[in-house]
Amino acid sequence: MEVFSEHPKNDHLLSRVDARVKLSVSLLVLAMVLSYKGLAFPLFTLCISLVLCMGIKVRPKVFFLRFSEPVLIAFVVIMIKFLFSGQDAMFSINPWGMTITGHKDGLMDGLQISSRILGAVSVLALLGFSTPFTELMSALSWLRIPRGLIEILMFAYRYIFVLSEDALVIYNAQKNRLGYSSIRRGLSSFGVLAGSLAIKAFDSSQNTATAMIQRGYDGSLPLLKQRPLRLAEVLFSLFFVVIMGIIWNL
Amino acid sequence: MKNRLAISLFTLCSLLFTASAAHAMHISEGILPFNWALLWSLLAVPFVAWGLYKLKKESSVDLSFKPLVGLMAAVVFIISCMPIPVPTAGTCSHPCGTGISGILVGPAISILITAVALLLQALFLAHGGLTTWGADIISMGVMGSFAGYCVFRGLRALKAGLWIAGFMAGLSADWATYMTTSVELASGIKGDSPFLPLFWKVLLAFIPTQLPLGILEGAMTAGMVVLLYKKRPDLLVKMRVLKHEEVTG
Repeated sequence: MEVFSEHPKNDHLLSRVDARVKLSVSLLVLAMVLSYKGLAFPLFTLCISLVLCMGIKVRPKVFFLRFSEPVLIAFVVIMIKFLFSGQDAMFSINPWGMTITGHKDGLMDGLQISSRILGAVSVLALLGFSTPFTELMSALSWLRIPRGLIEILMFAYRYIFVLSEDALVIYNAQKNRLGYSSIRRGLSSFGVLAGSLAIKAFDSSQNTATAMIQRGYDGSLPLLKQRPLRLAEVLFSLFFVVIMGIIWNL
Repeated sequence: MKNRLAISLFTLCSLLFTASAAHAMHISEGILPFNWALLWSLLAVPFVAWGLYKLKKESSVDLSFKPLVGLMAAVVFIISCMPIPVPTAGTCSHPCGTGISGILVGPAISILITAVALLLQALFLAHGGLTTWGADIISMGVMGSFAGYCVFRGLRALKAGLWIAGFMAGLSADWATYMTTSVELASGIKGDSPFLPLFWKVLLAFIPTQLPLGILEGAMTAGMVVLLYKKRPDLLVKMRVLKHEEVTG
């Protein structure tokens, strides 16, 4: 939850770029990363994203936490492809009657997929670190993502922090009463915790709706007003996409 | 020397497989090539549209419905971020939470809730991704919610108790998600290799955590349903999980 609650800093080199521009550029670069056949472009994207993340002063701890899972997944994909996929054998060994074969083409495939994972995750991480939530929602609405989905996203985002605090209070109380001292008790405690959260969600939704209706809620939430796009940021983002396109094509 | 290498390799692989599966069933950003990512996204669109249609219909009658769905999405988000210990793998893993949301709000809204939770996790936690959003919606949202909902309703129609129905719903939601994720992963990373052998290997790689995790998720779902029945049966009636006579009788 610490990573999640890491709000983007307000003043950095990407804060003045409109969220719509950042989102559009990110989606285009993601498409390029996914459709590239090789290692160079995704790794180049990773490097650029890392430099930009350092530029916007993302704390190293937060950054590494965000990347820990994708790095592990990338490593596992390499091992699966290396040992279980491919034709061109690099070596073969027989421990306990089992044959383990490493494949050169499998390794190359694995490295390619892993570079794609790291490149794509870095783009997504940069977008998340550099864009406040409300601006991102406004940008999604500009991309014609249905309004209902965005409203549910906004409600969910608002209540994740409230409910996670409640969950922590219940969890600590359970832990202090040895609620997690065995697997059986742990499971029972976890069920009670999750059930209590569901009850809290039901009750809070009623109270929230009543409070909102009293303040004029008519069934739809207002979104952040979008300012007109600046020519400079549009031109710069086009230039960036073209450069990335040229590198992708090399 | 060769034997030592083999043992190290084998140990490393075993550790890797158990560790990777412990990171639940989100398909990471970038794993799927462009064509597969597009295909799964297109497949997910009608299901999300169905959820949005139901949301619009319900919220036009009841203004508290949207806040309720948003809060349920927050609950699913929190549940799916909570680590629970998996004894066979010696690691912690995350439940899906889609079984319980399928039971409580039905598959259409549950798919929408999952889509929202997945998008938040992708944008702010690097669990899943934007390009794998469609694939994750299909495996966790569609398969998980339908499995949970259908098994729960089916068993209740056969007069099964709440605990058993809840347990089987959670278990089947988790395992359905795991099976679909294996299909998506194998098809995404197979390259020029044949699909089926790789599918079995991915499936096997998930087994150390997903089999026990399904049982744990079943127990968690059953615990939630029973707790709601004991503490707030009115909510189960309101959400049309139980009939009024079942609560009063």
